[in-house]
Amino acid sequence: MTTTATPPPTPAAPPTGPSPALPSKPFDWPKLAWWTLTIGLVAWAAWQLDAKWSRLLDAPADLWTLARLMFGDMAWGEFGKLLGEMWESISIAWLGTIIAAIFAIPLSFVAAENLVPKRVAILIRQIFNVLRAVPEIIIAIAFIPVFGLSPMAGVMAIGVGSIGSLGKLFYELIEAIDDGPIEAADAVGATGLQRLRWGVLPQVLPELTSLVMYRFEVNIRASAVLGLIGAGGIGSTLALSIEFKQWETAGLALIIVVVGTIIVDTISGMIRRRIVAGPPGTIDNDDLTDELPPEAMAAAEIRTV
Amino acid sequence: MSELIENLSRRNPAIEGLLDPDFSQLWSERTRTAFFETLQLAILGTASGAIAALPLALWATKVGNSNRPLRFAVRSLNNVIRSIPDLLYALIFVSAIGIGALPGLLALFFFTIAVVSKLTFDILDGIDMGPIEAADAAGASTTQRLRTSVIPQILPAYTSFVLYGFELNLRSSAVLGLVGAGGLGQRINFFRGRGDWSEVWGIIILFFLLVVIIEFVSVRLRRRLV
Repeated sequence: MTTTATPPPTPAAPPTGPSPALPSKPFDWPKLAWWTLTIGLVAWAAWQLDAKWSRLLDAPADLWTLARLMFGDMAWGEFGKLLGEMWESISIAWLGTIIAAIFAIPLSFVAAENLVPKRVAILIRQIFNVLRAVPEIIIAIAFIPVFGLSPMAGVMAIGVGSIGSLGKLFYELIEAIDDGPIEAADAVGATGLQRLRWGVLPQVLPELTSLVMYRFEVNIRASAVLGLIGAGGIGSTLALSIEFKQWETAGLALIIVVVGTIIVDTISGMIRRRIVAGPPGTIDNDDLTDELPPEAMAAAEIRTV
Repeated sequence: MSELIENLSRRNPAIEGLLDPDFSQLWSERTRTAFFETLQLAILGTASGAIAALPLALWATKVGNSNRPLRFAVRSLNNVIRSIPDLLYALIFVSAIGIGALPGLLALFFFTIAVVSKLTFDILDGIDMGPIEAADAAGASTTQRLRTSVIPQILPAYTSFVLYGFELNLRSSAVLGLVGAGGLGQRINFFRGRGDWSEVWGIIILFFLLVVIIEFVSVRLRRRLV
């Protein structure tokens, strides 16, 4: 790995091409090494994986059959009930996100290197790392015996599971703030809490809210999945109707999940843009894209489990 | 609320197992196979999904696709792919083609497309138009323009998104087995069904040690790329 850190040390080879003015490019050994490693890994995986590859040929036909069963004649009679369950999923996601934010905001203050000693910050970050590594559904497995097969288990799983990624985004945000207001607060003799209230919070609040909304979008997907193991919401109906081969219900439920998710995404995206950009006409809104900067998105875990 | 307190005070085998995890499963042949299957699923799912995601991202933008209705269609397709969670994909594919590693692979394939195409699409918004104009001025076709002035600009970011997708896939490949789509989740489900919570948590902890190590390497690689 260290070899790739430095640019290829190979000196330019003596000119061999037709034109002596252009030395040939040095051979890029690190690049070759990475490609070999990548292709080797993929080949190993494809060779070893017992996927019964011949079934791949039948897969399109199988999927078509399933699609016809699911969407051919949907159970519109259950539309109201399913809509209510989608609403429950959305509520689970929202409550879970709020719970996570309540814990993540104070924790992120003590995880930011510009507010607390580095040692403390690194310690707190380990909490975030552990919580971030575990999928919500695993947390839900642990919570179901405590809260029962109820939406509460889903809320708590999402709440605990989101603390990690929200906390990480928050402290990165706090570390990027301007020191001026903090110094000003110190200069007028602010206590620790006043310093946070007047020096830090006003600087991060809009982005903070926007990140919470973003996490809410991620959690909608998570809460739809949590139902599969019985933690409430539309996932339960979807899983049960597939298990009992009630394809008409499953198809309609699937469409409600997809459309519902897209609608919530759109509304939440509009709110986020409004929060960060202010009312139309205040600043040049054109500079802002629809979404957070990609790196923030990438950091923000687009995971859905 | 009183019910909650009653539940909390009752003996809870799931939590007791967490406090007393059993790592002996590391020596079991079947669990080891499942471990490797999970890794293979994540690698193959990421590789195949990443290849499919690049054109889907390019066709959703103006530089890669001058046909407006087609662009809209690709964007809508991306949105629909993005709105279905990975475990739901697994459930659908399991019910369509039966249990095994193949439905898990297909689920990760679509999940990777969802993540990588979205992130790549966002970065395509902000690329430098200079090289593209230069390519147009020299009379490049759409393919040539993409090959010479778009792809080189987004390649480092794209690679980092693929690595990021791999991290996500690794984590979700462990739970795909909960719905019968292969990998470590099948072992987790097996012990969960038997009530052997010590084994369940032992496997989960071992797996997340592996995830943390791979993520550590991957995050460092990604930082160097961007």
